[in-house]
Amino acid sequence: MSACHGNVLLRMQSAFGSLLYELQLIWEEIGESDDERDRMIAELEQECLEVFRRKVDQVNMRRAQLRLAIADAEAEFAAICSEIGEQPVHIRQSDRKPESLKAELRMIQPLIEELRKRKNARKNQVSEVLTEMQNIKNEICSSDGVSSNEPPTIEPDLSIKKLEELHRDLRALQMEKKKCQKMTQDRLNSLHSLCVVLGLDLKKVANEIHPSLGEAKSSKNISNSTIEKLGTAIQQLRELKLQRMQQLQDLTASLLELWNLMDTPIEEQQVFQKVTCKLAASEDEITEPNMLSIDHINYVEAEVSRLEELKESKMKELVLKKRAELEDICRKTHLTPERESAMAMAIAMHATESGSVDAACVLDAIELQIARAKEEALSRKEILEKVEKWMAAREEESWLEKYNRDGNRYNAGRGAHLTLKRAEKARALVNKLPAMMDTIASKILAWENERGIEFIYDGVRLLTILEGYKVLRKDKEIQRKRQRDQKKHHGQLLTEQEAVYGSKPSAIKNSNVKKAPRLSYAGASNRKLSLGEPMLQSHVTPAAKVLPNIRTTKKNECINQKSPRLSYAGASSRKVSLVEPMLQSHVTPAVKVIPNIRTTKKNECMNQNRKDDRHAASSSVQRRGLNRAGVTTKQHSSNLSTAREAERQLMRKPFSPLSSANPSKTAAANVMEDLNRKHNELWQKLLTINRTPPNIKLRAEQENRTPQKTPTTSPLTPGTISIPMPTAVTPASIKMTSIARVEEELEYSFEERRAHFVLPKSPLINVGTK
Amino acid sequence: MASAPPPSTGRELLSPPTDGISNLRFSNHSDHLLVSSWDKSVRLYDATANALRGEFMHGGAVLDCCFHDDTSGFSASADHTVRRLVFNYNREDVLGRHDGPVRCIEYSYATGQVITGSWDKTLKCWDPRSSSGQDRSLVGTYTQPERVYSMSLVGNRLVVATAGRHVNVYDLRNMSQPEQRRESSLKYQTRCVRCYPNGTGYALSSVEGRVAMEFFDLSETGQSKKYAFKCHRKSEAGRDIVYPVNAIAFHPIYGTFATGGCDGYVNVWDGNNKKRLYQYTKYPTSIAALSFSRDGRLLAVASSYTYEEGDKTHEPDAIFVRSVNEVEVKPKPKMLPNPAS
Repeated sequence: MSACHGNVLLRMQSAFGSLLYELQLIWEEIGESDDERDRMIAELEQECLEVFRRKVDQVNMRRAQLRLAIADAEAEFAAICSEIGEQPVHIRQSDRKPESLKAELRMIQPLIEELRKRKNARKNQVSEVLTEMQNIKNEICSSDGVSSNEPPTIEPDLSIKKLEELHRDLRALQMEKKKCQKMTQDRLNSLHSLCVVLGLDLKKVANEIHPSLGEAKSSKNISNSTIEKLGTAIQQLRELKLQRMQQLQDLTASLLELWNLMDTPIEEQQVFQKVTCKLAASEDEITEPNMLSIDHINYVEAEVSRLEELKESKMKELVLKKRAELEDICRKTHLTPERESAMAMAIAMHATESGSVDAACVLDAIELQIARAKEEALSRKEILEKVEKWMAAREEESWLEKYNRDGNRYNAGRGAHLTLKRAEKARALVNKLPAMMDTIASKILAWENERGIEFIYDGVRLLTILEGYKVLRKDKEIQRKRQRDQKKHHGQLLTEQEAVYGSKPSAIKNSNVKKAPRLSYAGASNRKLSLGEPMLQSHVTPAAKVLPNIRTTKKNECINQKSPRLSYAGASSRKVSLVEPMLQSHVTPAVKVIPNIRTTKKNECMNQNRKDDRHAASSSVQRRGLNRAGVTTKQHSSNLSTAREAERQLMRKPFSPLSSANPSKTAAANVMEDLNRKHNELWQKLLTINRTPPNIKLRAEQENRTPQKTPTTSPLTPGTISIPMPTAVTPASIKMTSIARVEEELEYSFEERRAHFVLPKSPLINVGTK
Repeated sequence: MASAPPPSTGRELLSPPTDGISNLRFSNHSDHLLVSSWDKSVRLYDATANALRGEFMHGGAVLDCCFHDDTSGFSASADHTVRRLVFNYNREDVLGRHDGPVRCIEYSYATGQVITGSWDKTLKCWDPRSSSGQDRSLVGTYTQPERVYSMSLVGNRLVVATAGRHVNVYDLRNMSQPEQRRESSLKYQTRCVRCYPNGTGYALSSVEGRVAMEFFDLSETGQSKKYAFKCHRKSEAGRDIVYPVNAIAFHPIYGTFATGGCDGYVNVWDGNNKKRLYQYTKYPTSIAALSFSRDGRLLAVASSYTYEEGDKTHEPDAIFVRSVNEVEVKPKPKMLPNPAS
């Protein structure tokens, strides 16, 4: 430096010297004076010094400025350090003294820069925390979402400690917030469960408290006021729930009661099982959705009211029934229901009908009355029984009177003996009447004395009835006496008349009228039989059919004897008709067998023809040769047109077994005889025309002969004739059974007929060839 | 094989009997058919092959026949004999003799005995295993109230229907007296009696177009089930023509049954539901006998005049074998099992 400086100085000295030299030269040339020369040099020196001084001052200034800047920087540094609460780093201490001021400044600048940055960051952090805290505070405390958003005043204290403190505060706040959230959620949950049970819309309820609570996803408002509101809402709902629960339980209780009362079927109860099982449940136990909704309560209420109505109607029914019972008792015991009570009852009935009075009260009242009526009835029973008997006797008496008036009462008719018997009894009863009345009267008097009230019978005092009857009876007796006198008088007149004219008018004239139904009865039975099923009925009915015929037609002995036999013939035709269906379908000889029986029987009308019939039938069953027989019988039957009944029978089914009984009914006996003769001829002709094999004819003759051997003198009684009763020990019965056996043997199957199989032990000749 | 079998009546068998067919039966083991006839013969047919496999001539009309096993059978003849027929050797011998024409014959698998019913008013049991000769083979004779007309077996029960509408029910293990003595609930002569395959009762038909369904159970409830129905009738100009019901055959599987009458019709009935299931087209003349094959797939129908109208000209006797459609014999659904199933 010094060298350099020295160089500069040297160079300046040399420049100055050269310049001075030049100046000298110029001056010498000019010839300047020395003075001048001196002055000039002095000036030069002055000016040079001036310039030097100015420059040095400038540099000095600059140095001072630098020093100031460094001081400033240092001050700032320290300030920041203290602000952010950091130990200020002693720059000067830390490193050795810098060579120059400029370097020092350069070194301090970045430090400051960094510090500034840090400070800013810290400031941001703090403000962030503060804002957050403010937000939370706002959330928790503010009544509404509008929070005061003023920027937090920047606190000078930005130290770490402070920051940590702030953080702690923040955490506490956050905790508090969480707590609030949880509480809100809890309350919301309970609100939800309440809503479910009560059947309310949770969203609606929540929205009413705070709109944010309604949405499921979004964050909920958790401010204290909201929580409080939630709490009150829950309280309200709980109260509502309790109230409804009470209501429902009341309903349930009445429901159960009604069920119990009316024996409601289980299926019907099942529907309300859910409700009834909560009868004794506490509030918490009712959790089922919609259990307490208005709809549900209404539903249960409707059921209760329905049952209530039902009960009401049943009650009414019961009341009516009880009333009917009461009336019935009154009627039975001939009590007059107490007038005022009846009135009251009528009013009550009306009231129950309109629903203004409880049916139960009425029921009680009626039941009381019933009890009273029963009690009274018991006390009256004895007398009433007697009265009953008396009434019956009176009835009988009036019947007897009517009967006595009947002129034809002694006519023998069906049931006449019964009426006679009744009349006899009635007379005895009527004789007892006065005594009966006396007892009744004394009993009534005793009763009335005991009770102090009158014995009322159907609203009238019984004693007066008895009195009235006594009077009536007396009257009647007088009348009867008068009548008897009159009759006697009339009888006298009649005998006088008879003495004059010799005839006596008979009162009994219409006996025929009585007989008519009997005739028609026989006819009916015939018709019924002829309609079909000849088998069984013909077994049973012969006697029934025959007897009326005997009685009604009053024929002579001969025909009377014949009728049972005819019925037998009918039975025999039944046997033949075993093959009937087949015969019906195909016109086979057997069809004609039955008419043959009828006609032959008719034509012979005698006792011995019985065997013949059977024989004729059997022979024609076996032989199919008599083809024309059917036609001729029909002709014959048309000849019978005069005997109408018989013809009618013929027009019916050809197999009807009963037609045989009819001829006995025909009055024209001579016509019949005539016809019989005719038929006889026909029959003979047929036998010859049809070229029957000789053996058959032979047999027929034999059979014809046999009857002559049989005892014809013993008339058959109807009882022994019926075939199913062969046990009778009359002489005829033996014959009957044997005949019945022969009858049975008439039955052959198709195969037997084809094989010409005939039972070997049969008295008939075995025609069949092997 | 028949060239063009008429589809409606079934396949007609070649070389039929030359006189009335009294009975026909399918074997229990094959589709062989044994046919007895009034032409004094018993014929054995193979129904599937439509071929005559054997013929046995008798001294009189044959009124009934039955199988023993697939190789032998028995016949009941109007010449009072009961015969055993051995198909393989075409050999026959007399098992025994009745006092009258033998009307019915049955072989009991349960007791191994042959039971015959005759018009001599007896029932006889025979043991076919003993050497031939009346004294050896005859097990017992049981008097009947009347001539035996029809007989049917199921298990140990034997139902005998006789003239006079008697019905005797026997237990084969105790033949000394009938287990039940009954009267037919129908009013007319019995034509045919057949037991239900399930053994609870029997069906009985009469000459008057009626079938009665009876039950063995004598309790009130058992008897309340019995009933009778009309069938084989024709209404013509307001008059009912009634035909005898000659044959009853139960379907071995479904328990339904077919009846055949003198009207030439075969009807199939569901006894439980009281319904007619089917009516086949009319056959040329009366149905004399019916038989279902062991599996119920075939029904043999003997269309043969049964002499119900005496000696007269009639359609030739024929045997038809028809395959049975299930619809024709199966009880209609929804119904409970048949009493006879």
